[in-house]
Amino acid sequence: MILDLHLHSELSDDSRAPVEAYLKILARKRDERPLDGIVLTEHRQFDPTRDYRALEDAYGFRILTAAEVETDYGHVLVYGVNADIVARFDFTNVRLPAQELITEVARLGGIALPCHPGRPTVGLCAHYETKPPLEGVVAVEALNGGSRRGEDARVAELIRSRGYKAYGGSDSHLVSFVGVCATEFDADIRSIDDLVRELRDGSYRPVDFRQRRPA
Amino acid sequence: MALEIDSSILGQEFDRAVHGPITAEELIDFAKALGETRPEYVEPGPGLVGHPTYCVRYRGAKFYPDTLPKGINIRTGFDAGKDIELGVPVRAGDTIEVRCTLHEVYEKTGRSGSMVFVVIRFTLVNQRGETVAIVDNRFMHR
Repeated sequence: MILDLHLHSELSDDSRAPVEAYLKILARKRDERPLDGIVLTEHRQFDPTRDYRALEDAYGFRILTAAEVETDYGHVLVYGVNADIVARFDFTNVRLPAQELITEVARLGGIALPCHPGRPTVGLCAHYETKPPLEGVVAVEALNGGSRRGEDARVAELIRSRGYKAYGGSDSHLVSFVGVCATEFDADIRSIDDLVRELRDGSYRPVDFRQRRPA
Repeated sequence: MALEIDSSILGQEFDRAVHGPITAEELIDFAKALGETRPEYVEPGPGLVGHPTYCVRYRGAKFYPDTLPKGINIRTGFDAGKDIELGVPVRAGDTIEVRCTLHEVYEKTGRSGSMVFVVIRFTLVNQRGETVAIVDNRFMHR
């Protein structure tokens, strides 16, 4: 099963991409980007009332929701957000304590994974140069669709040296970018609980569809 | 240092200005400047309406409220875009009242460091009390 684990819709302040437009692109580019679904990771927010079941039924893609938050070690994706996690952390705080976030989110039933770690200022690699490594990091985003030259290479070295698992996401803010990077899971994922379980204990790998354009 | 934002400042009106009456020539000139050719935007008469983006030409007399949180350097920043929700169209003879409120202030971090965004909302209302547009003007500051 292949999911884009990192993308933003018009609910984020820096994206104007409607969710339905993402699905239309994925349906049209199924041969090029053979995804089964997406995980919306809006910036600094989580709205539990969002309901995408009608779109799931209309287009046949899985749609799950998560959040991208900002910490003292850069940006982190939080999967399995629930009432306890929302009560514990103010997602609008751009200086959340990363170690506390990772530990507490795991205790409360979710999983917090650093994203675009190779990016200056907001990536884990830059913070590891001046601060001790975080404990409890399960995986990092090895492929990010918005990475610039050399950023994903830095992540490869981080993964090698720390033994982290690797996942991928498009980090799309524009409709046409959806699914350019994603994560392939061995198991089927039907719910956010399935996703959290698989990210923590399952088998998965990042996949890159940027090079698979038809001749 | 974290920006402290008092949520009570949000939603407060800090300025109000009135523009108009708007002439048919103004509406037509604006549309033609955009390259528009559709008759409802460029031909005088009862069917003439303002181009949907016409509403962005209006603003209040005051750029920012006095209540902005300390620590925002308003001398270094740029226009970070607009969100426009359209209401009834602008017609020749209309007067437009612009009501300005501080809609949102928030921080974010990116490749180049931390940023503060200020969103000023213009609510445009015509002389009949109808909403012409709600324009959210987003500005970024270091």
